[in-house]
Amino acid sequence: MKKILEIVWIVLVLLTIFAYLLGYLELIDTSLVAVLLGTTFIKGALVSDCFMGLRNVALRYRIIPIIWLFFVIILIAIAYYF
Amino acid sequence: MPSVEALKEKYPPGDFGVWIIIYVELLTFGLFFVGYAFSRRENIEMFNSSQLMLNQTSGFINTFILITSSYFVAKGVALMRTMREQNQAAANAEASRWLKFAIACGVAFLFIKFSEFYYIFGEGITLSTNKFFMFYLLLTMFHFMHVFLGTIILFNVHQRTKAAAYTPEDYRGFESGASYWHMVDLLWIVLFPLVYIIR
Repeated sequence: MKKILEIVWIVLVLLTIFAYLLGYLELIDTSLVAVLLGTTFIKGALVSDCFMGLRNVALRYRIIPIIWLFFVIILIAIAYYF
Repeated sequence: MPSVEALKEKYPPGDFGVWIIIYVELLTFGLFFVGYAFSRRENIEMFNSSQLMLNQTSGFINTFILITSSYFVAKGVALMRTMREQNQAAANAEASRWLKFAIACGVAFLFIKFSEFYYIFGEGITLSTNKFFMFYLLLTMFHFMHVFLGTIILFNVHQRTKAAAYTPEDYRGFESGASYWHMVDLLWIVLFPLVYIIR
């Protein structure tokens, strides 16, 4: 558990490389946008929970950035798909 | 046996005032992000063709830089949390080194973004060119200002760590600066795929 920050950083970098390759190699299509938005949610939640340290804080505060992220991602998806 | 929830901190790290600022910033940027997404729906071809002028590689490098700088800042905060009176000077000195790397990342981000703006404005693009560039310039310039302010905040925190000013009882200033910096990172994490990748 001591290496949690390092693990989070590696996951964030890998997901960022994934996003970049989708765009750079022009692989992005309608179905992959959902995957990209999903990985964006994961990245945001990791930053909020592990880097900001909110996972050690009372749920009512921990949940605020997660709810923000959830609604922003959902609304972006609605705008894209509907 | 206390519940897991009872063992957690009552409030987020840092001063509560900085969290009010963070919530307001998240809300403001969130409205911009959603506004961009719904405006794009009205004119997908124009958004897609305008997006081709952006440099995805510099967007990727900047994402990598911000994520890495956030990691450096988190390492500094972790040191503050495990600091004891006996190792106060050493913990401050080590945190100061992590902050130096984070500040260097902030400056690198600003430099890359500035060169991107230089190119865009050199092409004669302004806020009124079209809706895509209006959103692109508003979002990225607004974010640029936040990175600039965040870098100054980190520099001030760094100066205090150099003076070994943080103690095991009081390192809230460090946590406040760190929380603001992570917010800047969080915003870019949404901005990068939305503006640079999704088409």
